[in-house]
Amino acid sequence: MRTLVFIPAWNEEASIAEVIGDVRKYLPEADLLVVDDGSADATAERAREAGATVASLPFNQGLGAALQTGYLYALRNGYDACAHLDADGQHPAEEVARLLAEVTADRADLVIGSRYHAGAEAVSGDYRPTFSRRIGTSVFRFFLTLATRQRFTDTTSGMRAANRRVMALFSQHYSPDFAEIESLQLAVRQGLRVEELPVRMLERTGGSSFLTPLRSAFFIFKGLVVLLVGQFRPRQAEPER
Amino acid sequence: MSALPLAAGEAQVHLTSQTRIVAAVIAVFFMLLILDLIRRDRLQERYSVIWFVAGLGMLAGAAFPGLLELVAEAMGVRNTNVALFSIVLLLLLGLALNFSVIMSRQAAQITRLAQERAIEKALAEKQSGEAGNGNGSAGEQRLEPEEKRL
Repeated sequence: MRTLVFIPAWNEEASIAEVIGDVRKYLPEADLLVVDDGSADATAERAREAGATVASLPFNQGLGAALQTGYLYALRNGYDACAHLDADGQHPAEEVARLLAEVTADRADLVIGSRYHAGAEAVSGDYRPTFSRRIGTSVFRFFLTLATRQRFTDTTSGMRAANRRVMALFSQHYSPDFAEIESLQLAVRQGLRVEELPVRMLERTGGSSFLTPLRSAFFIFKGLVVLLVGQFRPRQAEPER
Repeated sequence: MSALPLAAGEAQVHLTSQTRIVAAVIAVFFMLLILDLIRRDRLQERYSVIWFVAGLGMLAGAAFPGLLELVAEAMGVRNTNVALFSIVLLLLLGLALNFSVIMSRQAAQITRLAQERAIEKALAEKQSGEAGNGNGSAGEQRLEPEEKRL
């Protein structure tokens, strides 16, 4: 069983080395890839120093494209399972290992680490979402649950584990603008087993959230349009594995 | 402009011959400009077809005003000029949409190109690193058949 852990990073020089160290500690057998999304700072250098392989996009392409790079890399290089986590230190690697265990035990194709899942409240004592984030979360939670007829609590979580079926799908179809939500909708529509697991998350150690109130409103609006359109997307033929 | 049905007895407003001449001249110059852009490799042929059709349409409208009047009547517009404006506006809308589609496709292509390059560079770097320190990491390089075809 070969496992890849990849970390999309955009200007995260302050926290990337620490995150890599954390992954090394809890997932010593996994290969590590940092997808540097056109960072202007020393993210790539820090990641290399910390011992990760670095795939540098020549210019900033957005989170979706960075994540897709990771899935494509995992698919091309024959990994059986892959996982990704944020580069800002919010996601403890210990929790990522739990997600990966679900995938390697073949209990699910795609596992999402949820901050809000029932039962996670007690676990995620360290994580305090902001007000605008809380509104966005509940709006997306409602509409994604409506669209997929499956209960989702943490739709924008960037901590996930996946098997080869998901790699094949996401390396072909992954929305560059609205990565997290549309990918869940797509996976469920394709008949993949998507599962949420309550996880503990931490306050960010570096960088700042991109969600200002105005941006949040726009983000929510865009998300709803994407979800609506996604409901009318044709199902993809299962790619050969 | 009112979209009321034509009042009985009111005359239809036609294109004046001056308008027709101006339109024809513009259409001819427009098509010459497109030809010149293609000739100097500033415009690819596949994107020029739509513009050429637009130019021909303009010329047809100027040469055969009866066509335009038919359209105006079908639209319920008394003034042929208004019909002309509406058609041009719709045409431009269609062209703008066409460009958005082309742009989206190119954006997706650029993204994939960037991803492929990033992955290739990462693999090359990893391989040279492994060759350098000799001992290799836990997950040694195993290229899939599909990888070699690239």
